Amino acid sequence: MLEVKDLWFRYGAPANKGYVLRGVSLRVDCCVACLLGPNGAGKTTLMKCVVGILKPERGCVMLEGQSITDMDCRSRARLVSYVPQEFTVKFPYTAFEVVLMGRNPYVNTLQGPRAEDEAKAREALKALGVEHLAEKPFTSLSGGEKRLILIARALAQDAKLLVLDEPTSFLDYRNKIVALETLRRVSRRFSKPALISLHDPNLALLFCDEVFLMKDGEIVAKGKPEEVVTRNNIRRVYGIKVRELRVNGCKLIAPENALFGAT
Amino acid sequence: MDKAILKLTVFFIFLFITSLSVGRLLFPPWHANALDRTIITYVRLPRVAAASLTGAALGLAGVALQNIFRNYLAGPGILGVTSGSAFGAVLAILLLPPNPAAVQLTAFVFGLMAMLLAYYLARLAGGGILALILAGIVTSALFSACVGMVKYMADPYNKLPAMVYWLLGSFAGTKWSDLAPAVPPLLIGVVTLLLLRWVLNVLSLGDDEAVALGVNVGLFRALTIVAATLATSASTSLAGMIAWVGVVSPHIARLLVGYDNRRLVPASALVGATLLLFCDDLARTLSAAELPLSVMTNFVGAPILFAILVRRRACLAGS
Repeated sequence: MLEVKDLWFRYGAPANKGYVLRGVSLRVDCCVACLLGPNGAGKTTLMKCVVGILKPERGCVMLEGQSITDMDCRSRARLVSYVPQEFTVKFPYTAFEVVLMGRNPYVNTLQGPRAEDEAKAREALKALGVEHLAEKPFTSLSGGEKRLILIARALAQDAKLLVLDEPTSFLDYRNKIVALETLRRVSRRFSKPALISLHDPNLALLFCDEVFLMKDGEIVAKGKPEEVVTRNNIRRVYGIKVRELRVNGCKLIAPENALFGAT
Repeated sequence: MDKAILKLTVFFIFLFITSLSVGRLLFPPWHANALDRTIITYVRLPRVAAASLTGAALGLAGVALQNIFRNYLAGPGILGVTSGSAFGAVLAILLLPPNPAAVQLTAFVFGLMAMLLAYYLARLAGGGILALILAGIVTSALFSACVGMVKYMADPYNKLPAMVYWLLGSFAGTKWSDLAPAVPPLLIGVVTLLLLRWVLNVLSLGDDEAVALGVNVGLFRALTIVAATLATSASTSLAGMIAWVGVVSPHIARLLVGYDNRRLVPASALVGATLLLFCDDLARTLSAAELPLSVMTNFVGAPILFAILVRRRACLAGS
């Protein structure tokens, strides 16, 4: 589905010599895949390259075997939908209007959405159980509700791949779990692979099928969450010591300092 | 059709017909004698049509620019178009023999030049919305300084009053022959903006969002700006500088139909046309001498915007 080959990117090229992405390669097929890594590792930049917002200097992004640079933006938007980390709607559109905008790649620009697009938007709201929010101004919703509406928009976009940049940011603990459970359910029910970025390795262990561990613009480990989120990898990437725990067969990690006090 | 838009249309048509009958001579259009009909055909109809078209164009340009700049206070002047038009007009008054057509043409051309200059400066500054806003401020300041310089050099007995009169805006003496050259660019701008109303929704989310939703941001933003500039330049060339209508009309329209541009854009055009028509009616009936249009739009627009702000604050407090 998604294949990224040897991607190099830097902001402000050619004056800036520091690459944010340094030969990143990955492949996502049918699962919830997660980019894990510290701040500044290049996760958001990689996602923006995948959805075509940023143009890489070298390397390519292939969606369904086609390079995204050869596609026009409408065709690309039919293949990949994107939910950004921060979403600041300036004008208080209703939640329904925000979800309806997800139909843009299928809409005749001069005519606007048709009845079937509105039906798709309502379906997406229903699939996430947030149809009661439809007529509320998006700006008046809570962080968790906003995130669900944006996932509904990504669903209404009917793209093959979902890309969500930190879908749990600004959410309380309950809403984090709700957002990730919903995402996993949607990904499985509609057979849509999802590429997400997370900051909490435990959430990656609990909700993701594949993890790409990033540091300084490179992927330093990839594979099943249990194979990637290890004591050594966490120490190497985040510079902290953790202890691996097992709860009901599930692997989790906890910082040693918190468990045993600072040494 | 949306109920609110239907009501706005009915109200606008009512005001349009009423405007034909008010003035120094007061008569209902359906009881007009031969003289009245001549007045309507050659004096009032071109004036009322010009006010309606100009108001609609400014309302549309305002709502389109507020969306693409994601700024409630953006107006048709944000890219320096009105300042450019003002410079073109005062330059023509200074250098050419008195000729309204020449003033109209130079105002239009300089308005377009100001937009191109702002766009070029924004590209030099790295592109993007912020660069465009800053380039608009620079362009506006530059042309305002040029206007000041031309006024300073103008003959204070003949040329300067003509400049001040033009800068304050007016539809007095508008004839069909004045309307003819301004209407094609104005209509191209108006129709284009009406057609772009859906994509304005997506553009208002910001560049990254719009790209991810499949919009060619560069193309549609440029189309919107060119259409808004055509509408604004043609309006300014026809009526002079008109303050507030472009900024206030979208705010009134939002109170009536909400924020979705599919309804907001036509509503904003109707509100702009109604508001400017109303201000022009006041300008020509309130006193024996005709009042400058910009004075009226300032008097009417400023309190309306303040009332909207108070109402919005009350709504926020209540929610």
